[in-house]
Amino acid sequence: MSLSHRKNEGTLLLYVFLFVTTGLVLLALTKGRGVDWQPIIYGAVVTAVFLICHVFLIINKHQGDPYLLPLAAMLSATGLILISRLQPQLAAKQLVWLTIGLICLLLVVLLTREYNRLEEYQYVYIIFGLLALVGTVLFGTEVGGATAWISIGPLRVQPVELVKIFLVIFLASYLEERKELLAQGTFKVMGVNLPHPKHSGPLIIMWGLSVVFLVMQKDLGAALLFFGTFLTMVYIATSRWAYVLTGMLLFLGAAGIAYYLFDHVQTRVSIWLDPWADVEGKGYQVVQSLFAIASGGLVGTGLGLGYPKFIPEVHTDFIFAALTEEMGLLGGIGIILLYIIFLYRGFRIALLAGNGFGMLLAGGLTALLGIQAFTILGGVTKLVPLTGITLPFVSYGGSSLVANFILLGLLLNVSHGAVKHGK
Amino acid sequence: MENNIRRLAYGLISLFLILILYLTYLQVFQGNKLVGHQQNKRLLAYEAEIARGTIYDRQGRILAETKAVDGKLKRLYPMGELFAHLIGYTSIKYGKTGLEQAYDRLLLGLNDEQKLDNFVNRLQGQPQVGNDLILTVDSQLQGLGRALLGNRRGAVVALDPRNGEVLALVTSPSFNPNLIEKTWAEISGDEEKGILVNRATQGIYPPGSIMKVVTGAGALVKDPLLGQATYDCPGYLQIGDYRLNDLAVHGQVDFNRAMAVSCNTTFGQLGIKLGPQDFYDNALAFGFLEDIPFDLPVKAGSLPEPGQLTKAGLAQSAIGQGKVVTTPLHMALVAAGIANDGVMMRPKVVAQVRSGDGSILSNPGEKKWKNAVSSQAARAVKDAMVQVVAEGTGRSAQLPGLAVAGKTGSAQNPHGATHAWFIGFAPADQPRVAVAVIVENVGYGGREAAPIARQIMGKALEITR
Repeated sequence: MSLSHRKNEGTLLLYVFLFVTTGLVLLALTKGRGVDWQPIIYGAVVTAVFLICHVFLIINKHQGDPYLLPLAAMLSATGLILISRLQPQLAAKQLVWLTIGLICLLLVVLLTREYNRLEEYQYVYIIFGLLALVGTVLFGTEVGGATAWISIGPLRVQPVELVKIFLVIFLASYLEERKELLAQGTFKVMGVNLPHPKHSGPLIIMWGLSVVFLVMQKDLGAALLFFGTFLTMVYIATSRWAYVLTGMLLFLGAAGIAYYLFDHVQTRVSIWLDPWADVEGKGYQVVQSLFAIASGGLVGTGLGLGYPKFIPEVHTDFIFAALTEEMGLLGGIGIILLYIIFLYRGFRIALLAGNGFGMLLAGGLTALLGIQAFTILGGVTKLVPLTGITLPFVSYGGSSLVANFILLGLLLNVSHGAVKHGK
Repeated sequence: MENNIRRLAYGLISLFLILILYLTYLQVFQGNKLVGHQQNKRLLAYEAEIARGTIYDRQGRILAETKAVDGKLKRLYPMGELFAHLIGYTSIKYGKTGLEQAYDRLLLGLNDEQKLDNFVNRLQGQPQVGNDLILTVDSQLQGLGRALLGNRRGAVVALDPRNGEVLALVTSPSFNPNLIEKTWAEISGDEEKGILVNRATQGIYPPGSIMKVVTGAGALVKDPLLGQATYDCPGYLQIGDYRLNDLAVHGQVDFNRAMAVSCNTTFGQLGIKLGPQDFYDNALAFGFLEDIPFDLPVKAGSLPEPGQLTKAGLAQSAIGQGKVVTTPLHMALVAAGIANDGVMMRPKVVAQVRSGDGSILSNPGEKKWKNAVSSQAARAVKDAMVQVVAEGTGRSAQLPGLAVAGKTGSAQNPHGATHAWFIGFAPADQPRVAVAVIVENVGYGGREAAPIARQIMGKALEITR
């Protein structure tokens, strides 16, 4: 069973290699440079790193879900092709980050195979997470309006990307330990039964602090992501809609306050309501994104034949707009379907995890990835207000890529545990 | 917890399904609007990479071409202001006009038939080349018309009555399309002069006495005997309280003589004999009120409704005053219709569309537009028009050694002196050129427009067979 399990993974990876090689070769031809070895080498490297990863999992007799790795491979291959198209000089960097991401994945798979042990270090995550956030506020570099980066020599990392994973692990262990107590809700506030502050206090304080830090960094996307993940995990643990509703009300209140306090929040909302009011100014990016998406038609202009570079920062947050311009509505729907399959596999792992911590961990990580993907996909298409955040596995950005592969490693381990313990 | 996870999964996955629906909605219902949106620079950016096709005149002279200047493609008009209205201009700021606009897709090679070729070309990194236009106009004839109008406002149209080929389409004043972006404020600001208006196709004028050709033809169709009758002209036509003044007391005149001296009294009477409905129908048969099928948009003139026409109004309309207005191109077509035994050919200025590799994409043949009038009536009107040039108001249009048919007009208008009109064709027995000339606010057609028509017809006969 175990071998056929991984066989699917191998077969699916083959398609990814075909895709990435075709894409990169096509790109080389489009530029009219004749045969260029660079994309072929890139294709070979992508092939090699994912194959090594695959073989490693086989040798390790890893029983984890065989579809997650090919899904991530397909998404990051799409990202690499688009980055080669949009910012060719960044493609090599992205490839390096991809390799580092896969190394991290393997380390996670190796070191946390008995993932239940993670439960024991609750406060390590909190302390590390908060330190990282405080560090970002104090020593951060501002890029594109948000102070979310720390420069270490030539490297620029985005600590929040890692913090979000720590947040999920922390919440999973904390909620697992106290879910009964929290669910009972013995503390009445305005007719709603809330858990006693003794149990919920640390949770709310920790979460509140991180949101405050994020708002201080003007990183709205991450704040929204933290909040959404927090609520979904509380809901999984306690089944209490009341908490979710209270949380949402709190969020709306906070959003209202933020709207009056911060210009950039007002700007985001007004752009969302009517980007056409200031097409040349504040609405420029969203409007250009809509133009790009519409110009793609059903099948797209063809790789390298559109004008996605009219969108500022297209290779990071707006990469989906570039994709739909050149690969069309079908390409865009394809990417969305990949995320849907990812969510399906992720939540399936959560359901089969067999223990509370595993369920919360897998469910939380999957929700995190889903919320993040939806926030930015909805943002660039103007379905929801735009908040700057990366498209998981696809956007350019090392920290995000590494974090998402760590997330993937954790999911694989939860799924391995379920298979090993007979579901 | 299982159920919670399930609900969460359904919820999140639904959000992504909504995203798919929304994306499809964007594409299907907002797509066209967004693609064509003014702020969407994609079409312009794409066009900037394409070498627009070259435009040639009938002798193969270049009228518009695209050349690489300092690594950028630039549209050049070697004839300067000569074809500014017919060919138009292309500007990122001010858009496109004339044939540049009407044939935009073909000039860019963006028509559906060439989509696949273009895609393959782009994939290979080949520069895209548009299609060429070969026009029916002759740049020497056009230049002559331009020179003859000089600083005066007006238009000259010359066409081949046998096939509708436009030989010249001149408008004055004009502008230099090479300098459109630099001189925009100057040329677009002057509303009174209307420099940007293509007077030949968009200028609507009262036709004045050249309308007598239309009225006369209609009367002869209704009753051929009217051609033999004689009319008494006391110098005016009294209709109830209204008196239609004539330029002179013409005395006893027949149909031909009335045409030759441009007798308002006679043609006012003929209009009344036709009656409101027949007058209206006859004008429609000559293409009044109709959108003329042409390579450029042509303004449709106006005509009073038959129900609203009093006898006085009818007499006025019969001599081309009152509420009758039309374009110079249309009046040239009227002349061509008489020349061509009553059949009006469809006008055209683009003879051929040729792709970059020389293959012919479109080759519109000659097409009939309207049966304006019976051939007998057309010939009778032609005889009268020959008399106009031989011994009447149009003597200045005489050409040595051949019979010229014509009609002068001096159209009253609210802007000052009368507009000088002349329509005609030559040679009268086998016409190869028909013209319409208008010079705004300069007085008599016989004095101001007929001499221009003479030179245009003379030159046109040299270049047509």
